[in-house]
Amino acid sequence: MHRFLTFPILLPILLGIGLLCLQPKSRRVRSSYIMAAVLVTSVLSLSCIALTLLRGEQALACILVSFSESFSISLRIDGASMVYGGIVSVLWPLVTAYALDYMSHEGHENRFFSFWLMAYGVVLGIAYSEDFLSLYLFYELLTLATLPLVMHGMDEKARYAGRQYVVYSLSGASFAFIGMVFLLNYGVGHLNFTYGGVLDPNLIAGHENTLLIVFVAAFFGFGVKAAIFPFYKWLPDASVAPTPVSALLHAVAVVKAGAFAIVRLIYFGFGADFLRGTWAQNVVMAATIVTIVYGSARALRTPHLKRRLAFSTVSNLSYILFSLTLMTPAGLLGGLTHMVYHAFVKITMFCCAGAIIHKSGREYVYELEDCGRVMPVTFATFTISSFALIGLPPLGGFAGKWMIAEGAVASGNPMAYVGIGALILSTLLTTLYLITIVARAYFPVGQLDTAALDRIRDPGWSMKVPLILLTASGVLLALVSDGLIRFLALVSQGVL
Amino acid sequence: MEGILIACLVLLPMLASPAVYPLRRHSRAWRNHFVRTLPLIELACAAALILFPDAQLTLPGVCGLGLHFAAGSLRTLLVVTACFLWAMTGLNSPAYFAHAEGCNRYYCFWLLTQGALMGVFLAADLFTLFVFFEMMSFTSYVWVVQNETEEALRAGGTYLAVAVIGGMTLLVGLLLLQDLFGTLEISQLRALAEALPAERRTQLYVAGGCCLVGFGAKAGMFPLHIWLPKAHPVAPAPASALLSGILTKSGVFGVLIISRYLFWADLPWNTVVLALGVVTMVLGAVLAVFSIDLKRTLACSSMSQIGFILVGAAMQGYLSGENALAAWGTVLHMLNHSLIKLVLFVSAGVIYVSTHSLNLNDLRGWGRNKPWLKGVFFIGAASIAGVPGFSGYVSKTLLHESIVEYIHLLEHEGLSATAFQAVEWLFLISGGLTAAYMTKLFVAIFVSPRASGLHLGLREYMSRETSVALGLGAAALLGMGLTPGFTMEPLAERAGTFLMADHGHAVHYFTWVNLKGACISLAIGAAVYLLVIRRLLMRRAGSEMEYLDRWPAWLDLENLVYRPVLRGLAFVGAFCARVVSSAGDLMVLIGEKILFTRAPGIFVPKHDENFGIYARKPRRSIVGDTFSFDLMLAGGGLILLLLYLLL
Repeated sequence: MHRFLTFPILLPILLGIGLLCLQPKSRRVRSSYIMAAVLVTSVLSLSCIALTLLRGEQALACILVSFSESFSISLRIDGASMVYGGIVSVLWPLVTAYALDYMSHEGHENRFFSFWLMAYGVVLGIAYSEDFLSLYLFYELLTLATLPLVMHGMDEKARYAGRQYVVYSLSGASFAFIGMVFLLNYGVGHLNFTYGGVLDPNLIAGHENTLLIVFVAAFFGFGVKAAIFPFYKWLPDASVAPTPVSALLHAVAVVKAGAFAIVRLIYFGFGADFLRGTWAQNVVMAATIVTIVYGSARALRTPHLKRRLAFSTVSNLSYILFSLTLMTPAGLLGGLTHMVYHAFVKITMFCCAGAIIHKSGREYVYELEDCGRVMPVTFATFTISSFALIGLPPLGGFAGKWMIAEGAVASGNPMAYVGIGALILSTLLTTLYLITIVARAYFPVGQLDTAALDRIRDPGWSMKVPLILLTASGVLLALVSDGLIRFLALVSQGVL
Repeated sequence: MEGILIACLVLLPMLASPAVYPLRRHSRAWRNHFVRTLPLIELACAAALILFPDAQLTLPGVCGLGLHFAAGSLRTLLVVTACFLWAMTGLNSPAYFAHAEGCNRYYCFWLLTQGALMGVFLAADLFTLFVFFEMMSFTSYVWVVQNETEEALRAGGTYLAVAVIGGMTLLVGLLLLQDLFGTLEISQLRALAEALPAERRTQLYVAGGCCLVGFGAKAGMFPLHIWLPKAHPVAPAPASALLSGILTKSGVFGVLIISRYLFWADLPWNTVVLALGVVTMVLGAVLAVFSIDLKRTLACSSMSQIGFILVGAAMQGYLSGENALAAWGTVLHMLNHSLIKLVLFVSAGVIYVSTHSLNLNDLRGWGRNKPWLKGVFFIGAASIAGVPGFSGYVSKTLLHESIVEYIHLLEHEGLSATAFQAVEWLFLISGGLTAAYMTKLFVAIFVSPRASGLHLGLREYMSRETSVALGLGAAALLGMGLTPGFTMEPLAERAGTFLMADHGHAVHYFTWVNLKGACISLAIGAAVYLLVIRRLLMRRAGSEMEYLDRWPAWLDLENLVYRPVLRGLAFVGAFCARVVSSAGDLMVLIGEKILFTRAPGIFVPKHDENFGIYARKPRRSIVGDTFSFDLMLAGGGLILLLLYLLL
């Protein structure tokens, strides 16, 4: 019981290394090995969350390695961990089931899935770490563990994207590292996440501006993974990776690790009260506002389907960041809500894009004319998710946007009003760049190559079932949102 | 019981809608039975809802903030009207789509929209209203593009753009209201709005303005009417009937809520609504007079009638305490207009199915030998023109009376009433134009000699269900018009409580005082028809009279203003984005010149130049593409750290 929390983190890492050593030849053996590993990890992780809910925060807290009194690698689950860890633990098995089928045409599955498993453990590590040092460790590990996944194709494009990805992420993390050093020096002596911040008011007196500069640096450092302007570029380029990677890592796990780290930075490190109303808040908020509009506008101008979705992710991540930079509990609530719904929606859309590429080889939006007719299930799920992303009530994105906007109005910050304007503008752009896809797929214009179209089919059940499950869970989560939002509200007030 | 009824009304059509696909696979007849029956069940539910004026339903936790429904008064009236329209178009649709492909999609979204519309009308708070309002906008988009022609897609684009922009503006308005009051419960808004301190009233005006734009866009209010004349002609006829008959009313419903509950007797607000209403009323009528397309005329007519209703909404505010006449007129005109447009658009559908044209020149004389259709169309036309004895006369008289009453009120207080006399005259002139364009339609289709080359049409030009639907609609119009005291006034009294109307008094519709307004209108109508339409808008070509489209094509608000403005904004946005992103490049370029030599070349894949990440010219965007920049980032971080350690 004492070290129970380490299991969901270490187990997939070890099993991943095991897969690399074993190199099973038979597809069935490999599939069942991977599926079992992922499922066991998810069960372990979710039971950790459940145990914490039952027994309180300290029940599972443990220290892995202790360097000194203030420096240690330690784990603990709190409210924010539950949100991020919960999303990841639910989505990972679903996308794994999808990936097992999808990767059959990409090759090198052993290598791919061993890193896939390791990444799972590392992501859970980010979710469950107790202090900044552990967070930083897993954060860097995540870059390294996912690099082989991004570069999986190993052609020039993939190598280029991978290099871009690793340099962006590592340089970002180095900026974040500065933040940690300052937090330790001006803090209460440890780096454990504390709602309200770890800064010591006596020590910071007179050094406020230095700390704010450091905060901005650290924000952009973590923001690199959350694809904030002007450090967004790696994300669209990384869409050369196999689709399950784009779906899970570049719509959920990695990019939300960035957003999650920023939650930690603002609300559990520097403290929202210290930052609210300062110039630093304005700077970071302005950056998120620019990103919101910029991402949507670029998405509209991008004809490549996966890249368009990636730009859409850039924009939507900044919805979350914008909400977080409101520095109020309502802002945190909005950010977490959008984090949950966007995860479900965007992962479904990427999986649909993957299914389209897998079955038809079509990658550009203008090639999708009339595909709605020949791939009914794929496009039905894509359409529902599109509407959810646009924020059409009662689907998922709406609740998130409403919460964000409500928080922004309530904060009374003049720049927050600009942010609402950006949200609205971005919603219009989102409608445009998604509706054009959907409308073309269902209401084609121009000449069609019917013979080629008729050869396209919906993917097999092993891909259709995850698609349907993902869509259904997204819709259900939106319709029965009461419990979820009450839970998130508790988290955002620091109760959990 | 009441809760179940409400849930049934809202959810049943939505949940049942996908069933059209498996049913159609079984057989066409089954699907058609389903399409006819389900709206009838809904109509029965709506009728049962009349018995429960205080019905409420709360669904906490759905869609974030929870949904809250309530019935009674105007809500029930609108729900019943909507269900009646759905049931009638349900009877008509199978005949209309008898030879069409892909109508399953239409049916599916037809039912989805019904559920959403029920949600709008039954909403007890503005949040719920917004949720269903947005759903309705998107599901009805499919109606507009159903035919998949190029015009349909373009009109659909316009429709969607207006709906989305309106919806977003509405969302901003609601957020501001939520911030002001902490609740969006409609029944509480009035007390809260009156208790609002003066310094926060600006926010209230901003919020109200946003809501007015959002609701007005759906209602077809000037200057957001652009989608109306485009979307209606391209949509299938049953869909046009619903779009113009009842979907626009959801916007009007919203405007009424905002006007009554937030700005009870607020002078500036009511002036704005009145001005917009008058412009919409006149402009719609003028457009309709010029149009030579059957459905476009009817669409412009809808716009004009919405203007009448908005005038009524504003007059209620002016008359504040004694607003019964205005409130009744508003409510009844909403009801009448729904029924009238049902009859007229379904008739248009019948005509279109036989002739495959909507141009009046092609339709001349088509209806000469079709007495049933001729009679029904006449009732609809006479009603909308406000001929005494038909229902439209009653509501128009009430609206007219409310203006007259306010003029008296002003004169009594010794104030100038010139502005309102102008409004009265514009009101009467618009009524006259209505009569003129309806005469134009009626004469063209049912009276004038047959156009050369026009087929007489089959004997069976209309299915039995369609004639039943048309007959019921026309009978309702005629019945109500002949017995206003028994039928219309009690209805109006009940529905008026939602608009907080006072008790009012019975009006004698068939006395000279009240008939005078209608007579002036009809006289203007006759003059316009004889002098303008027959002289200027028609031309003798050989032995026949030909209808001319004299409206200048360039005079189109959408193409003249909105599209260029949007394009301009897009250009400015793109320009700004480019400037912002090249600022970074410039910095790197300078840094590079000073610090680094150029990085090794970039991989450009040989066969994939479309792939956007590889700029053909490596210099175009340097920020992301060079290793040196990455190194500089990392180095910068380390230098900062070093500086800190030293200091």
